[in-house]
Amino acid sequence: MLLRSLQTRIVVFFVLLLCVVQGVAFVLISAANERIAKTQIAEDLTVGQRVFLRLLEQNSQQLAQAASVLAADFAFRDAIATRDRATIASALANHGRRIHANVVMLADLDKKMIADTLNAISADASFPFPELIETAQRDGKASSIVLIDGRPYQLVVVPALAPLPIAWVATGLVVDDAVARDLQELSALQVSFLSRTGRGTWVVHASTLPPVSRSELGGSLGSMRGTATLPLGGEDFETLLLLLNELGDSEIAAVLQRPLREGLAPFVELRNTLLWLALASIVLSIIGSVLIARSIAGPINRLAGVARKIRDGDYSQKAEGGLQGEIGDLAESFNHMLERIFERETKILRLAYEDTLTGLPNRAMFSDRLDQAIKIAQRNGGPVSVLIMDLDRFKLINEGLGHPVGDMVLQEVARRLRKLLRDSDTVARFGGDEFAVLLPTSGTERVGIVAERIQRALEEPILMQGQPIDLGISIGIAGFPENGDDTIVLMRRADIAMYVAKRNNTGYTYYDPSFEQGRPSQLSLLGELRRAVENDQLSLHYQPKLNLRSGASESVEALVRWAHPERGIVSPIEFIPFAEQTGYIKAVTRWVIERALRQCGEWHSRGLDVKVSVNISARDLMNPELPGIVTGLIAKYKVPVALLSMEITESGIMEDPVRAEKTLQQLHQLGIRLSIDDFGTGYSSLAYIRKLPVQEIKIDRSFVRSMLEVNDDALIVRSTIELGHNMGLTVVAEGVEDHASLMLLTKLGCDEAQGFFIAKPLPPADYERWLTRRKEMGDKVTESGFLSDLRR
Amino acid sequence: MRTTSAPHYLCVLLAIACGDAAAASVIATVADSGGAPVFEAVVYLLPTGANTAVAPRPGVMDQANKEFLPLVVPVQLGAAVSFPNKDNIRHHVYSFSPAKVFQLKLYSGTPSKPVIFDKPGVVVLGCNIHDWMVGYIYVFDTPYFVKTGKTGTARLDGLPAGEYELRIWHPHSKSEFRPRAIKLTESMTENAEFQLELSPPQSAPAKE
Repeated sequence: MLLRSLQTRIVVFFVLLLCVVQGVAFVLISAANERIAKTQIAEDLTVGQRVFLRLLEQNSQQLAQAASVLAADFAFRDAIATRDRATIASALANHGRRIHANVVMLADLDKKMIADTLNAISADASFPFPELIETAQRDGKASSIVLIDGRPYQLVVVPALAPLPIAWVATGLVVDDAVARDLQELSALQVSFLSRTGRGTWVVHASTLPPVSRSELGGSLGSMRGTATLPLGGEDFETLLLLLNELGDSEIAAVLQRPLREGLAPFVELRNTLLWLALASIVLSIIGSVLIARSIAGPINRLAGVARKIRDGDYSQKAEGGLQGEIGDLAESFNHMLERIFERETKILRLAYEDTLTGLPNRAMFSDRLDQAIKIAQRNGGPVSVLIMDLDRFKLINEGLGHPVGDMVLQEVARRLRKLLRDSDTVARFGGDEFAVLLPTSGTERVGIVAERIQRALEEPILMQGQPIDLGISIGIAGFPENGDDTIVLMRRADIAMYVAKRNNTGYTYYDPSFEQGRPSQLSLLGELRRAVENDQLSLHYQPKLNLRSGASESVEALVRWAHPERGIVSPIEFIPFAEQTGYIKAVTRWVIERALRQCGEWHSRGLDVKVSVNISARDLMNPELPGIVTGLIAKYKVPVALLSMEITESGIMEDPVRAEKTLQQLHQLGIRLSIDDFGTGYSSLAYIRKLPVQEIKIDRSFVRSMLEVNDDALIVRSTIELGHNMGLTVVAEGVEDHASLMLLTKLGCDEAQGFFIAKPLPPADYERWLTRRKEMGDKVTESGFLSDLRR
Repeated sequence: MRTTSAPHYLCVLLAIACGDAAAASVIATVADSGGAPVFEAVVYLLPTGANTAVAPRPGVMDQANKEFLPLVVPVQLGAAVSFPNKDNIRHHVYSFSPAKVFQLKLYSGTPSKPVIFDKPGVVVLGCNIHDWMVGYIYVFDTPYFVKTGKTGTARLDGLPAGEYELRIWHPHSKSEFRPRAIKLTESMTENAEFQLELSPPQSAPAKE
């Protein structure tokens, strides 16, 4: 988690990098150093060995010289010549002292001892080192390290010359610690002299080692030869064993040593320096990277702080200025961004809470204010009233006169509403033609007055391009606390009241809990519809169409009815749009087609050929399986295809003309008669319709109903009939509700008519009866009589 | 230098031989292992019978050019040997040989008193100033001795008939030579050949 911070990451990265580099360098250098040191020590030992041997040789030379001088001394020779052992012995001692010899021995030419300064000699004793005399005979002198009385001596044998050899003089220096120290001084090595007998343990005779190491030396040597590393007194010594003399089974050796520590010392020093250097650079890099990281992370952290404030909606704080480089650029951009966000947020807020068309608060703001008003009212105990209203017939204005006119109407409505209310009241537009008013401190009495004032204000026609437009408004009222203490509940209840007002055409209505009974939610409606299809609660009624040329009725429009077990008959207007939204319309349509074909097939089997038309929705046209389903059902109920026709609303085709056209073509190829329903309400042109495989158009009932009063509508009906005929289409008029309309349509040449004046939608049995009666009457009465009879 | 004094001894020996015409002679030829003639080897005869009393002749051991000259001076027991110093530096002649221990401390010219050699045997001479100087005086208890010359031969004349041990000695001889018994009759000449193994003296320091 800690590594998340930029600062820590920078520091950790650089410090780790440095540690790795330093570590690797340190290990490499240390390894190289140790190798060099070992080589160096081995070389030192070799050099030391040469120096040591050279020194030993010099010592023996000096001793030999001294001995030669001694042997050549006339008085000494004189003493020898006396053959008096006591004299000779004292002369030996005297002259030996002169040259600082520790031992002087005299042997005759037969290697028999004459005198010895160290020990009394027995008669006929031989010189203990005859090979030295032999060497001296050959070389003039001989030298060796020997053991006398268990101590090592450097012994030199020279002849006493008079001037030919008359005796052998052996002089010796004891090899003791002092000698070892001398050798150490010159060779720079630890020097020890040891001996052993019969491959036993080495005995140390002289050494420069400290007492502890010295005592360990003999034992630790073992059978070592040449060079090795020996641990002594807790320290490692590079050790070289030099065999100096081998006499019988006894050996005398010198051991030269150098402590590894000594050889490593310069390298240890170097290593320590390196270590300090590494530590120092790591510390410096930590400090450096912390500083750099801070200079980066600090401003970033402060920017993050500002960003947090912005997140919380506080735009007061700005990023610090005056920073250099990238961070400075960032801070500057940050501040620009902050300003822009503030501007945009203000704008968005306005957009979010305001209706752009009218400048009124929108639903969200209305909701907020209602919320606030309720809270205040809860504290103060006052009433709050909500009015939700919907313009009547606004859809007609919008579709008939165009959206720009619709928008202007809405603006005018907003203006009027605003004008007749207090400033403390809120007027909002919820979208479409839905408005709302909040009276934050008003109860039932004032609300009624306000509602009536609103109605009056909107009763006055709105002049639009010189034309008066009549508006009506339906108002639903809900109030706090009597209808609820929650914004959503109050608004919903006002809404419900508004629908009730609209349905009952009462102007304004106060909410009543009874409104909500029998008003199922859409979700349960879907379930109920499904059950209705499955349980056969749906039924088909057939509305006859009258052939205006022959006066006969040969075709019907199948219309679905829902006999709800609790709510009674539910109008298709209530559930068909909903079924279309949810996609369940496909099942409904299938049910309708099947039921219509079954009926048609039944009639056909009884010799009654009735052309049945069913309504197809836009959704159905998008269903590629529809032609197949229809084919299957036609075959199943053995219905001649010519008896089936389908009605598609103009707007349904226009939703997706390409796919609609494709499906229509397939249906057409099956031989099904196709009809455009509600013609004139959409925006399609006849030219477009002509491209479609349709055979019939149905003029929308709104034109037919008003064609007797409104001149324009009569013109539309007339021209539609003429154009339809010109394109070879059959023209059917819907919504024929009186005799005059039927007469006019007949006069205009309309092919067929349909409407309550002719017959309402009838169950199959009723239709058959109606048909029978119509035939009986048609044989004996006039056309007008027949028609007036139908009106009953 | 040694060669110059050789005829002098021969004259002496010849004089002895001429005194007794009936006497016998011994001619000795000495060579080394390589066959080269050996110079200054002393050939001597020890009579097995009673020794003829003959007065010993004095000997002379010169020191010239920091060397003893000749290398070997054979003398009869009781002979006086003088040590004339012919160098312009002093010498200190000594001997620690059991046959005669003496010293002539730093002198030049000829010391007034000659040294009497009264014991038979080899007397090795040295100089305490010059360690390399070696000389030998061989003291014989017989009047019959002679040194070989450069040719490696030596001749003893005027020897009375009788039985002798014939012996030879050289300072550089590695080994003692076995005496030979010979019997001399009047006027006979005995020829004897010797082969010696020589080695130079050891341990002598080199001459300056």
